[in-house]
Amino acid sequence: MTQPIAQIINVKKSIGNTPIIHGITLDIYPGEVFGFLGPNGAGKTTMIRMLVGLMKMSEGEIYIQGHHIQRDFEKAIAHVGGIIENPEMYSYLTGLENLKHYARLTPKDIPKKRLEEIIKLVGLEKRIHEKVKGYSLGMRQRLGIAQALLHSPSLLILDEPTNGLDPAGIREIRQYIRRIAHEENLAVFVSSHLLSEMQLMCDRIGIIQHGRLIRVEKIQDLVSKDIDLTVELKASPIEKAFQLLNDRSWHPKKKGSWIELTVSEEEKIPELAELLISNQVKLYQIYSNVQTLEDTFLELTREES
Amino acid sequence: MHFLKILQNEHIKIYKKTGTWIIIGILVTLLLGFAMLQKYVLDNGDQSNWRNQAEARIAQMEEGMERGPDIEAGREAMGKEIAIQQYRLDNDLPPVAADSLWGFMIDATNFTAIATLFTIVIAAGIVASEFSTGTIKLLLIRPVRRGKILLAKFITTMMFALFMLILLFGFSYIIGLAFFGSTGSQLPYLTYTGGEVVEKHMAGHIISLIGFRSIEIIMMATVAFMISTIFRSSSLAIGFSIFLMFTGPQIVQLLSQYDWVKFVLFANTNLMQYVDGTPVVEGMTMSFSIVVLLIYFFVFLVSSWVIFKQRDVAV
Ligand SMILES: Nc1ncnc2c1ncn2[C@@H]1O[C@H](COP(=O)(O)OP(=O)(O)OP(=O)(O)O)[C@@H](O)[C@H]1O
Ligand SMILES: [Mg+2]
Repeated sequence: MTQPIAQIINVKKSIGNTPIIHGITLDIYPGEVFGFLGPNGAGKTTMIRMLVGLMKMSEGEIYIQGHHIQRDFEKAIAHVGGIIENPEMYSYLTGLENLKHYARLTPKDIPKKRLEEIIKLVGLEKRIHEKVKGYSLGMRQRLGIAQALLHSPSLLILDEPTNGLDPAGIREIRQYIRRIAHEENLAVFVSSHLLSEMQLMCDRIGIIQHGRLIRVEKIQDLVSKDIDLTVELKASPIEKAFQLLNDRSWHPKKKGSWIELTVSEEEKIPELAELLISNQVKLYQIYSNVQTLEDTFLELTREES
Repeated sequence: MHFLKILQNEHIKIYKKTGTWIIIGILVTLLLGFAMLQKYVLDNGDQSNWRNQAEARIAQMEEGMERGPDIEAGREAMGKEIAIQQYRLDNDLPPVAADSLWGFMIDATNFTAIATLFTIVIAAGIVASEFSTGTIKLLLIRPVRRGKILLAKFITTMMFALFMLILLFGFSYIIGLAFFGSTGSQLPYLTYTGGEVVEKHMAGHIISLIGFRSIEIIMMATVAFMISTIFRSSSLAIGFSIFLMFTGPQIVQLLSQYDWVKFVLFANTNLMQYVDGTPVVEGMTMSFSIVVLLIYFFVFLVSSWVIFKQRDVAV
């Protein structure tokens, strides 16, 4: 059993007299991308602020690599890199000056090579000598990720990292989050209310609502549980394919040059292909659409409220 | 040492801001303007008859002594003045003219008030601006305790104050030399200690003038720093500190008949009162003031530290 990188134990937080987080318990493991999913105002940012020591817990404990985030702050936080809400940087400094500023705040020396490597990873080589003032939101996000990775943390915490990015930017970030998690055996804790995105990026998802973690599950489980897959296929001759499927009660529907049907589990898909191919139908394309997490998410949060 | 790197960061953040250089530019420009005013506009009178003036002054003082001043301190001051003027006549040492290097530099020490103002601006921004721009979040999620960050910021503020004073001294010297030349720069500063007149180097006197004024800079910067840390608003810190700086000493004067006033910060910031003047409240001494100042200083710093350490950062 691998040791968790972060342990969140019955953490509660009240601001003034208002309880905001009502007891969250959660472990985060190396190599996983953990999605922290919740609607606006659910308490994601508040939880993250406690996780990085910006806010104190009212109750409960948080350990990072075994170090208590408050009592042993320096040791605990040395393993953490993060962005909390927007990645605000010193706008009158260049991107590189900003990174060097953060590098100086780490007791161990960060070699120049590491800096260059990170800048390259986030694709800012060309603009790194410009003042951050002139950066677009997407560039700021990348610089934010760069400062978070600089000291090779074992826990990367990203609060809505794709906020304000265009689809290409979102996709890029998603890709390197996955890459660094799996290559560097890093745990990534990423919050979002964009469900479609979490689905593509995370291994495990925790759904938070009104300050409570209402469900934590592996993404496959969350997605495939009692959910039908929609399958679309393109085959020729289409009439023959349709006939075959209909005869075997797959309940196909014709949609232009496509055939659509639903199956109860993934295992049915090769079965379906087999059937068509063995009957000399040419199979050109086959797609399966998982029901989006969005539906699951909405369902779950609806139940709770 | 890691702390030096944190200090370096804070310095970079101040000196890479355009505003800081505008402040420095303003200080130098004001000095230049003052030098021009002194040289081309103000009439500084004729210095050649300084002997007559010194004699007249002595006569005036002696007459005053005979009439008998009300208080002991006044009598003493007159005695000193007579001794110094007499020494001038005996040793052929004219007083420094306003339009000479030393005269200009002595007058320029009054610009410490402006240096104080600018230091307040920096002190007020050094913590509050991190909150207002949101950069505080990424600053505080580093393996550095908050206390260290705050200390680095405070030391940086103090270094800025020192930098302003060095600039003031340096530029008033350069500008003074450029405008008024070095004539009269051999003149010593005369002071009356231990029953006799002593000659001292004028530069030392000017530095001590600035030194005394620097107490005010340190205290006001610390006030601004504290307010900025507690309320996270630089405009509040600037406004409040400048208000205090201008009204504080006057309110203290107004209330000087009450004994408790001696515990007020502003009754103690001007240590010159013990060198050439009378203390705000009778019976105050230099060491009393230094103790009071130190207590205020530590109370301000400790309250900033406690608040900064405890604070939930939610920006
Ligand atoms: N400093 C604060 N004072 C009072 N209430 C606060 C404070 N910060 C957050 N809250 C409240 O706590 C709740 C959770 O806020 P939080 O910012 O953690 O939500 P979130 O899940 O990050 O939302 P979003 O998706 O909009 O970013 C909200 O109801 C918010 O109003
Ligand atoms: Mg949030």
